[in-house]
Amino acid sequence: MTEIRWHSRAGQGAVSGAKGLGDVVATTGKEVQAFALYGSAKRGAALRAYNRISDEQIFDHAKFMRPDYVLVIDPALAMTDDITMNDKETTKYIITSHLSKDEVIESIPALQDKKERVYVVDCVQISLDTIKRSMPNSPMLGAFCKISGMFELDYFLENMKRVLAKFPQKIIDANMEAITRAYNEVK
Amino acid sequence: MQDLKLKAAEKRGVHQLGGDNLVGWDEVTQGIVLTSFEGDATDVAHKKAEERSYSDFNSYTATVASWRVMKPVFNIDVCIDCQNCWVWCPDSSILSRDKQMLGIDYDHCKGCEVCVEVCPTNPKSLLMFSEYEDLGDALASWPEKKKKEKK
Amino acid sequence: MAVEFEVNEREVWDGNYAASQAMRQADVDVMAAYPITPSTPIVENYGAYVANGYVDGEFVMVESEHAAMSACIGASAAGGRVATATSSQGFALMVETLYQASGMRLPIVLNVVNRALASPLNVRGDHADMYLGRDSGWIQFGAFNAQEAYDLALCAFKVAENHAVRLPVMIHQDGFITSHTAQNVYPLSNEDAIKFVGEIVPVDDMLDFSRPVTYGAQTEEDWHFEHKAKQHKALMDSMSIIDDVFAEFKKVSGREYKRVESYDMEDAEVCVIGLGTTVESARVAAKEMRKEGVKAGVVAIRCFRPFPYEEVREALRNCKSIAVTDRSSPGGAMGAFYNEVAAAMMTSQSRPLVTNYIYGLGGRDISIENLKTIFREQKANADAGYITTDIQQFTNLRGPKLGFCKTERN
Repeated sequence: MTEIRWHSRAGQGAVSGAKGLGDVVATTGKEVQAFALYGSAKRGAALRAYNRISDEQIFDHAKFMRPDYVLVIDPALAMTDDITMNDKETTKYIITSHLSKDEVIESIPALQDKKERVYVVDCVQISLDTIKRSMPNSPMLGAFCKISGMFELDYFLENMKRVLAKFPQKIIDANMEAITRAYNEVK
Repeated sequence: MQDLKLKAAEKRGVHQLGGDNLVGWDEVTQGIVLTSFEGDATDVAHKKAEERSYSDFNSYTATVASWRVMKPVFNIDVCIDCQNCWVWCPDSSILSRDKQMLGIDYDHCKGCEVCVEVCPTNPKSLLMFSEYEDLGDALASWPEKKKKEKK
Repeated sequence: MAVEFEVNEREVWDGNYAASQAMRQADVDVMAAYPITPSTPIVENYGAYVANGYVDGEFVMVESEHAAMSACIGASAAGGRVATATSSQGFALMVETLYQASGMRLPIVLNVVNRALASPLNVRGDHADMYLGRDSGWIQFGAFNAQEAYDLALCAFKVAENHAVRLPVMIHQDGFITSHTAQNVYPLSNEDAIKFVGEIVPVDDMLDFSRPVTYGAQTEEDWHFEHKAKQHKALMDSMSIIDDVFAEFKKVSGREYKRVESYDMEDAEVCVIGLGTTVESARVAAKEMRKEGVKAGVVAIRCFRPFPYEEVREALRNCKSIAVTDRSSPGGAMGAFYNEVAAAMMTSQSRPLVTNYIYGLGGRDISIENLKTIFREQKANADAGYITTDIQQFTNLRGPKLGFCKTERN
């Protein structure tokens, strides 16, 4: 079982990101879960979304998890939220930030002993460049794709096109570009 | 004099809403759904009440007549067929056909006197009499037209 | 004629989306609704399917949940296939009309996305609303995940509209935990789904002008008792028809449902019996307990009403200590589910130990560790031969340990 926790603010698309990821993963024949802790949250409120990925049907419905990946798509939450909560010795962190990797690690005390498991990518800037608004979920999926090694980039892009099929071609293309850039830029 | 044929339909007034046959739980209707008519009731709206095959569940087949102590009596000689009583009667007990007033349905009339109250003729075409009063005697004692009082 | 909506063999749907797809595939004629969190997307999606021509139906927007069910009652009495969805406060407002629907024997299908009842206000999942409906005369199915919310919704129409049943059916799913959790769902094709559900054949429909009927008649003490008895008998008798529908569903889907589900119970010494998503989490915990050498199993109630007393007794026959989990504030008693299981086991030969856990109110998490603690306590009871804890305990609650009632011992 692979478990993923997203740290985001309502409106940044973590829930859609988690569901989109689940959708793509399911095409590989795996079983997925995508859920979030929200409800009456207003736009901008901190929230967490979750993915579980397994070869077998997933029966665990608890919100509690010890994540294999922590995806932070809001730069400020990396500093203020407890992103290392319930982590493991192997948990990998992908954090969106305009700061360099060293600067990010330096500013978050909880990451000091996990430096080699921290990856940084500026999802906000990438989405501003490509999608023309702050929509850091798509680029984060590209970064996750690279760090997890779960899929080939091309396979992922093909399947994301299907997930996004209801959107205009322009938006699909922008998302593809965002995913590709983050895949290549994550460090 | 009213048309007595209209009130003497066979099933009229004999049933008390199923009270004559208290069946067990296994025989009651599903979901307390009650049918209003026996058999096919297509176009029943176009039939006269006495021609309809009302079911035992329909309140048309139950009578409240003995509850009444005073009854309205109808005088066809004075009536102008204005239908006021038909409109106002709360128990649909005014018998009227083709806008012609025919009489009172004594199986369902409760003797409320509304018909008498709303009757505009002079003298009134409907008046209250004792339940025991013979219809012929009642009509024989009908009052004369009231003259306007001089001011 | 409706426009074909494409569904894939494998989808990633949350419980709400899955339920709304079942409503579309079942060709629901009328849905009257007043949307409420967390069930909103079910009626919202159906409304969109109507607007976009994917289903030949009618979406009726009303002013309250009371009116929603009232309109459903009218549409169902008129002979249509009728469904809606609600949660929590909306369900509470609907309660008065729920009794009307079942009393009139109307085959309405209600998707209930379980949510806590205020006060305090809470949008998350517990079973307070489900329990509120337990005496309403409806059949109540429990889904433990999105797939089941879909499957059971299709089965619900077939059970409700069966002429030997003619009772309304609720399908319960846990708010957010099922309703907003996307999981793999393997839907039937549109064609197979409607073929399975079939056409509704109305009974006593008000639009049959050759046979006008009265719905909602008054009955006093000389009739009321007989009518309620007949209704209860129909509800009890629906068990075998539910079994038949589940068997038929297995033929088209390959998925098997039972009114009482048992997992790892063949040799189980201790078990958790539960409702909703907790059942699946408990299965994970039971597997882990078995690695620790505890013969642990899980029993689940798929059909909460009519309550499967005999099947529960059968499933728990060889168990020594049983934890009954209630996800509803018990309001001055043992949990309602506990009382039912305890009553069933009271008349068994084995008379196992039966304990009550109150958990997860207002969406409070129940983790695998929490469930393992419950299993360990059952193991201690089984070894001791008596209930070593309070009979009723609160699980995963902050503050001093809270429990009530001790077992009577000489």
